[in-house]
Amino acid sequence: MIKVTTGLHGHSILRLANGLEIRVHNLVTVMVLLCLGILVGGASIMMGTTNTGMGDLIALIGGTGVSDDAVFAIMDVRLPRILLGFMAGWCVALTGAMLQSLAQNPLADPGLLGLSQGSMVMIMLMLVLFPAFPIIFMPLAGFAGGIVIAVLLLVLVGRHHTGGLGIVLMGIAIETTLSSVTSILVLYTPAEMSYALSSWLAGSLFRSDWPTVFGFAIWFAASIPAILIIGRKLRSLDLGDHMAMALGEPVHWTKPLILFVSVLLSAAATTAVGPLVFLGVMAPHLAGFVSPAKGRARLFLSAMMGGVLVIGADSLTRGISSDVALPTGLAIMIVGAPLFIISLRIRALRQSKMI
Amino acid sequence: MRNLILMFAFFAGLQMALVDPLAAQTASHTVRDDTGRDLVIPDHAKRIIALQEPMLAVPMLELGAKVVGSYGRATDGSGLLAVDFIATVLDQDGRTLGLSGVGPLGNIDLERIRALKPDLIIGGETDGDKVDMLSQIAPVYLHNVRSGDVAGFTTQRRLASVLGADQAFDALHADYQTKLDTVRDQLPFDPVGKTYLAVVIYDQINIVGHMSGVIQAIEDLGFTRADLEGDGEATGYGRGFAVPLSSELFARLNPDLLFVMNSYAGGKRDEDAIRAKLDAIVPGWERFSKPEREGRILFLDSAKVTTPTIASARHTLDAIAQWAAQN
Repeated sequence: MIKVTTGLHGHSILRLANGLEIRVHNLVTVMVLLCLGILVGGASIMMGTTNTGMGDLIALIGGTGVSDDAVFAIMDVRLPRILLGFMAGWCVALTGAMLQSLAQNPLADPGLLGLSQGSMVMIMLMLVLFPAFPIIFMPLAGFAGGIVIAVLLLVLVGRHHTGGLGIVLMGIAIETTLSSVTSILVLYTPAEMSYALSSWLAGSLFRSDWPTVFGFAIWFAASIPAILIIGRKLRSLDLGDHMAMALGEPVHWTKPLILFVSVLLSAAATTAVGPLVFLGVMAPHLAGFVSPAKGRARLFLSAMMGGVLVIGADSLTRGISSDVALPTGLAIMIVGAPLFIISLRIRALRQSKMI
Repeated sequence: MRNLILMFAFFAGLQMALVDPLAAQTASHTVRDDTGRDLVIPDHAKRIIALQEPMLAVPMLELGAKVVGSYGRATDGSGLLAVDFIATVLDQDGRTLGLSGVGPLGNIDLERIRALKPDLIIGGETDGDKVDMLSQIAPVYLHNVRSGDVAGFTTQRRLASVLGADQAFDALHADYQTKLDTVRDQLPFDPVGKTYLAVVIYDQINIVGHMSGVIQAIEDLGFTRADLEGDGEATGYGRGFAVPLSSELFARLNPDLLFVMNSYAGGKRDEDAIRAKLDAIVPGWERFSKPEREGRILFLDSAKVTTPTIASARHTLDAIAQWAAQN
C-alpha cells in the first residue's frame, strides 16, 4: 500500500506500507539524476578515437555484427570507464556527505580530514620506494594509509570528540603535513616518476578495466547497506551529539564506525582512480541545493550527484582534443565548480531576501 | 623426370616466396621481462609502441627499430614534452619517422594504441599498472629503466637483444669506440686515474648516477667517480639517475673534471642558464669551486646526454672534445 500525503513541512511524502517515508521531491530528483547519468553516459560511450555511433551500441546490445574495433572501444575501454567513474564518484561523494554530518562541518570531506592523503602518500611511497611492488596489492596499501590516518585522528582528538571543529582542525593539520610529503615526493623523484605521480594525483580513469570495475563493485554494493544503516544514524547526529545521545544513539561508537566506513570507501576510490579532489564537498552541496534532504535520502542524492559529475567530467576529458591532457580530477572541477558557485550564490541571494 | 624436377623446383620456389615471408612475419619467441612475466613476442617486431620516450623510444630508434607510437607525442608525431628527445638526441623528426602519439600524459588512449596495430608494446617498470589493459592489444614487455642493475648502455644493449637488433647495437658500439679513442687522444692529460663528478640541477643540485649515456662515456674514457663525503650504500648513491646533493657540498667538490647541467624539464640548458641557476642556489660558487677557478668544469646539455643511448654518449664525447680543444 503506497500513499502520498503532505508532511508537517508542507512537502509531499510517499508513505510505503512498511513505514518507509520518502519525500516525493527527493524521489523525483533521484530519478532525474539517474536519467541525466544515463544520458551523459550514453553520450560518453560515443566519444573516442574509434568512430562509433548509437547504431554500433544498439547492434552490440542486439548481438549483431559489430567491428572488433567498435567492440573493443565500447566494451573494453568506454563502458568500464563510465561504470568505474560513476561508482568512484558515488563513493567519494557519499564519504563527503557522511563526514560532513560526522564533523558537523559542511567543509569536511576525505581530502580535508587527510584520509585521501593518507591513502595517497602510502601508495606513492610504494611506487617510489618499491617500483616493482605488485600493482594488485596497491589497494591494500591505500587502505592501510587511510586506516592509519583515521586511527591517528581518533587517537589525537579522542573517540568522544569526533565531531565539531576539533576533528576538522586536526584533519587539516594532518592533511597539510601529508601534502608536504606528497610535494617532496613529486618534486624530488626523477622526472619520469614525477610525471607519473603527478598524473595519478590529478585523478585518472585510465585503469578502468573489467576486473577493476568488478573489484570496485564490491565496495559500491557495500555502500548501499551502509547508506541504509548510517543514514538513519546521521539523522540523529545532525541534531548534535547531546540530542543524538538523548535519542538513544551511542555516539562514541557510532562516530568511529562512520569514520571507519568513510575510510574504506575513500581508500577504495583513491586507489582505483586517484584523489577526486573537492568532489566530496561539492556533490553533497549541489545535491542539497537541488533537493534538500536528511539522513538516507541525503546520502543517496549526494552519492548519485557525485557519480553523475564524474561521468560528465570523463566525457569532457575524452571529448576535447586527444592531445590535450585533461585529468579527470581537473575536469570534475571544470564541470562542478561553476555549478557549485552558482548554487552558493543563489543560496546567498535567497538568504539575503529572507533577512 | 626433368619436368618433374622442374615442377618440384617451381613449387619449392613458390613456397619460399609465399610461405617464408609469412613465417618470418609471425615468427615469435618467449621471453621473460624484467618483472618476471613470460610473454611471446615477435622475433622482429615491426610496429613497436614505447611508453617512455627518452628511456625506451630513443634507444630503440637509434637501433633502427620500427617504433610507430610513443607516449608524450601528438597524433601527428610532434613532441608534447618540454624536450623532443628524438630531435635533440638523434636529430630526427618524429613526424617524418611516422611516429604517432598514444595520448597525452596521464591519459593513454587505448583506442589510438589499438588503431596503430602494434605487435609489441614496451614500457618501464612503472608501467606495471597498465599491463592488463595494454595486453589486450599486443604483448607488453616491461623493461627496467631506473631500477635494478641499469647503468649506461645496459638498457639499449638489452633492448637490442629483445628486438633481435644485436648487430645494429654492435655496429653503433664499434663506431662509438673509435670516437672514444679519438677523444681520449685529444685530452690534455691521461684520463686513467683521474676523477670526475657530474651534477644536474633541478631546484636543487643532484649528483648524476650511473644510468645515463653521459656517465658511460666519461667512465669509458678512463675517469673514475670521485669520492663524495657522506655517500654510501644506504644513500642509494651510484644508482638511479640522480640523487640530491647539499649545495654547501657542491662548492667543495673537487674532482679532476666536473660536469654540470640543467634539468631538461626546466627552461634553458646552455652554459649561461646553468651558471644563472647555480648563482641562485649557491651564491658565489665561482669563488669557492676549484674546478671552476681552474677551468676543469664542463657545461652539458642534459637533454642530449642523459638518455641511456650511444647517441647521448657521443654527444658527451663531442662536448669533452670541444672542452679539450679550448684547453
